[in-house]
Amino acid sequence: MTTGSTDRGGAPPSVALDRFYRLYGAIGFLPIMLIGLVVIFAFVVPHFLILPNVLNVLRSSSYLVILAVGQMLVLMVGGFDLSVGAVVALSSVSSALVMAGLKDQMVDQAALIIVAGVLTGLGCGFLVGLVNGLCVAFLTVSPFMVTLGTASIATGVALLLTNGIPVYGMPVGYVDGFGRALWLKLPSAVYLAIAIVAAVFVLQNFTRMGRYIVAIGGNLQAAIVSGVPTRIYLVATYALCSVFASISGLALTAQIGSGQAAINSQLTLESIAAAVIAGVSLKGGVGRVEMVALGALFLLILTNAMDLLTIDPRIQTIFLGVIVVLAVALDELSTRRTKRV
Amino acid sequence: MSDADVAPGARETGASGLWRSLLALLLPILIVAMELGVYLLEPRVLSIGNLRNILIQSSYLVLFASAQMVVILTRGFDLSLGASVSAISVASALAMTGLDAEGAATWIVVSAGLVTGLGFGFLVGLFNGGFISWLGISPFVVTLGSLNICLGLATTISGGRPVFNVPDPFSSLLYNGKLIPGVPVPVMLALAVCVALYFLLDHTVFGRALYLIGNNPRAARLAGLPSRRYLLMAYILGALLAAFGALMLTARTGSGEPNLGGSLMLESIAAAVIGGVSLQGGVGGIIPVILGSLFITMMSNAMNLLRIDGYIQQILLGIIIIAAIFLDRIRSTRS
Repeated sequence: MTTGSTDRGGAPPSVALDRFYRLYGAIGFLPIMLIGLVVIFAFVVPHFLILPNVLNVLRSSSYLVILAVGQMLVLMVGGFDLSVGAVVALSSVSSALVMAGLKDQMVDQAALIIVAGVLTGLGCGFLVGLVNGLCVAFLTVSPFMVTLGTASIATGVALLLTNGIPVYGMPVGYVDGFGRALWLKLPSAVYLAIAIVAAVFVLQNFTRMGRYIVAIGGNLQAAIVSGVPTRIYLVATYALCSVFASISGLALTAQIGSGQAAINSQLTLESIAAAVIAGVSLKGGVGRVEMVALGALFLLILTNAMDLLTIDPRIQTIFLGVIVVLAVALDELSTRRTKRV
Repeated sequence: MSDADVAPGARETGASGLWRSLLALLLPILIVAMELGVYLLEPRVLSIGNLRNILIQSSYLVLFASAQMVVILTRGFDLSLGASVSAISVASALAMTGLDAEGAATWIVVSAGLVTGLGFGFLVGLFNGGFISWLGISPFVVTLGSLNICLGLATTISGGRPVFNVPDPFSSLLYNGKLIPGVPVPVMLALAVCVALYFLLDHTVFGRALYLIGNNPRAARLAGLPSRRYLLMAYILGALLAAFGALMLTARTGSGEPNLGGSLMLESIAAAVIGGVSLQGGVGGIIPVILGSLFITMMSNAMNLLRIDGYIQQILLGIIIIAAIFLDRIRSTRS
């Protein structure tokens, strides 16, 4: 600490450098890296900047954006949600089963069938989130273990319901009109992701809950002493995260066209990776939703470029691991630097 | 148990002492009750063959859970255990089959396998511990990264296929040899590791320091302990234990399996926590690890004997994990 202050006294930083650091502090590391990556890929990777590929990246990143935004909220209250991947699977399976089951009884009422399926999926997500939140808030047990447990339970239920076989028989309108549709030339999931990011942005910046989430994650004791009803907001945060996960699961199901219990086993880890790359602190209290959206986009752009370069998916896994650790290490080092300057 | 708690002013009244010893005996009682209950439905559960089988199976889990326990003591955990087990299994099998094909002497082949496996484990521990202790990055992120790296390596170097033809001497050394007649080699090895860990944790400065680092990192630093070095050493020790377990599993299957570690990460954490290792750090020991591992192994053994559907087993495992943390919670509020 003392060496830092003598540094400052010894060499006054130039105005340009000062401005650079202020800009860097305002924008952050991720957008710069993202733009750099896109520019490089545009030259190096064939077919990277053509319309179908751009739409493809946008669509597939939307699902992760929705998940990662929920994960961010939970990380901000100092928690973890390892069950989001399982919730995606459970809501996918349960909504598909309800829709396929109602198909024969309600032949002409596709809209009603869809509503029933969507509500079932959302309900499953809400239920898992409620269990997570209640355990964490009222029994003050480690979120890591609780969500590990509920993840195991939810995956087990999803597999049990389907025996691991994909569920077909959803209304055509759900798949073609929503899942695979282009609205105003953009995939429908993109609108969903933008809406959720905007909603969470408002939540974070203009509502009491947003401020309370920061307060709970920043210093739980101080929040309790200040009269914040921490338990209620903890439960609400976990429930919201799971509901977002089920929305992502529903959109993914509509795109795939079937309910699957093994929908994507990597989703939980990817959602945490996206949030962490975006500078969300695992200690709680810090996180910006627009950065998390960029973090998810960053991961998907990277995977997409590696796919186009026909890099073996197994080697891609290694890359993903290295990048997560490096991004956090760089972030750690650069915040140390900016604090010192 | 290693209940030489560092907590200041821990007064023990009669009632709380009784409560505590009841809680300490809860898991053994549960294990016995479960086995007797299952015996009524399926007598084979208490046959000599099945008990021997349980002992052998749980000795692997004891190794992985103690690897996890060493880092959980310091308030960390290792998500890469499992993926690293797969990578180590494949790497050591490749080293052995490669040398075997060249016609090297048996002892060279076997020791090359051991060195490759333990060396790989050392590197994983160095990576995890290095980033965690020197850069102060959360164990979750670092071990998430090494999980992906190990997973990628395991499938890349093997091409996604099992590596067959691990030489028999390796298997007889670590699995079906007859060093002491009547005692299965894995059980013997696990016991040896347990005894060594007991002395390391309870009778060395390094071992006691791990408890203090987990209990109160600030106090550990102020007491002048080289916390960073010890933290690094804890992760290396954990990775080496996992590597040894991976070698034992490879000897058992007789092949390097890229999917060997599958559910081990979850099971190892669950076994440690169910046994009584606290995720808040600073509480644990080798006996909780043994009890937790026995409990999980016996439970899945009983469910298999009762022909319970695998998916339902997964649901039950989740319920038991949540039940275990309630137990952990009760323990820590009472003590």
